[in-house]
Amino acid sequence: MNKSILRKLKGLNTIETIQKKLNIKRSTAIKKIHELRKLNYIETSGGGKQPRLYRIHINKIVKIGNPGLYDIINKNSPIKLSRPFEERIIGKKLSIEEVIIRAIKTEDYRVILASLPLFNKVKDFSKLYNLAKKENIRRKLGALYEVARKTVKTKKIDDKHLKLMLKAKDKKKFVVPNAKSKDFMDIENKWKVYIPFNKQDLWRLKE
Amino acid sequence: MIDLEKQGELLSLIGETLKKKVECYIVGGSAMMYHGVKGETKDIDVVFNDNESKEIFEKVLKKLGYKERDIKIMYFKKKNRPLLLERGEERIDLFIKKVITFEITENIKERIEKVYEYGNLIVKIVSPEDIILFKCATERPGDRIDAKKIIENFDINWNVIIEEAVNQTKLESYLFPVYLYDFLEELKEDFKAEIPKEILKEIRKISEDLLVKKLKKK
Repeated sequence: MNKSILRKLKGLNTIETIQKKLNIKRSTAIKKIHELRKLNYIETSGGGKQPRLYRIHINKIVKIGNPGLYDIINKNSPIKLSRPFEERIIGKKLSIEEVIIRAIKTEDYRVILASLPLFNKVKDFSKLYNLAKKENIRRKLGALYEVARKTVKTKKIDDKHLKLMLKAKDKKKFVVPNAKSKDFMDIENKWKVYIPFNKQDLWRLKE
Repeated sequence: MIDLEKQGELLSLIGETLKKKVECYIVGGSAMMYHGVKGETKDIDVVFNDNESKEIFEKVLKKLGYKERDIKIMYFKKKNRPLLLERGEERIDLFIKKVITFEITENIKERIEKVYEYGNLIVKIVSPEDIILFKCATERPGDRIDAKKIIENFDINWNVIIEEAVNQTKLESYLFPVYLYDFLEELKEDFKAEIPKEILKEIRKISEDLLVKKLKKK
């Protein structure tokens, strides 16, 4: 592939910008996109109701493994996160349960907030509980589950696991270091952890 | 020679064998493979944050039949040399935090754009700018050609390179910008790499200032 063409097209494009940059007809631009996709230089987003966007790279895209934490949250949440780096998981696929636990472990405000809608996709609460137990974050998980339940649609966790989570003796109280809010005092008192979000933050999940 | 697929298989096997999470940085030719600018590499350069992680990794490799190789062949008497492990045609160089004259800094860690998880092995790929700096530090056969390839294929942020070179002077490698100037000058002269003149001029100025300061101290 001619590098000078790739340099001209580098970055985000629409079919029109490709036409303009290369001074070619629409049908030729479509052929070019097809060619670039075949050679792994192009990522496509949008389509359907949204305009189709083409991200063109100077170098071949190396796509190995399966999506990581940020990609899975972005796929399942109305809040989209910008990835600090490209993360790929080799040899296995992260489950929704693992993603929730990893999100809590980041202790990052936006990551945790964006992960709350994932409670509606949990298939195995027993697995979720066991992962949280391994990481000593059962109380945080329970509290965040209840916060999520107040705002977005979630699957209902069974009483057995809810009780087990409540009995846990996890030490860390902050979900996000030094962040508290006054809007979920009931949940905070019940679970003895500090919730970093206020009600306004959570409205964004309903948008 | 090892390509991305074979390297992936090896790292997956290591990741599956590791009993706890180990984090490492891939620099050099194998990092270039992840960036899509190299098809295969002679060796895998792996840098660890601490000796414990390196030892765990080393143990797994030895279990898989990798044997230690004489280090002098590749690195002569250079400082912060790696442990060389070999199995057939595959060679893995293990470093701890420092690669000869170059140290993994927090800035380098922040510039990482790609992270791959192979079971318990978390592999972080350094940025193209940092690969050039590592290539400058190791100066093995083929390093200059690789550096040229990176310059050709990426819009290199030369300011990052200058800042990191200066950053290294505050650590163990006071004269790193001098080595960098030599390396880049050679790349431009001998390999016709496209390095902006003003960048070379700036690195030269920094290098001269450092040398003058060093002489004054003496």
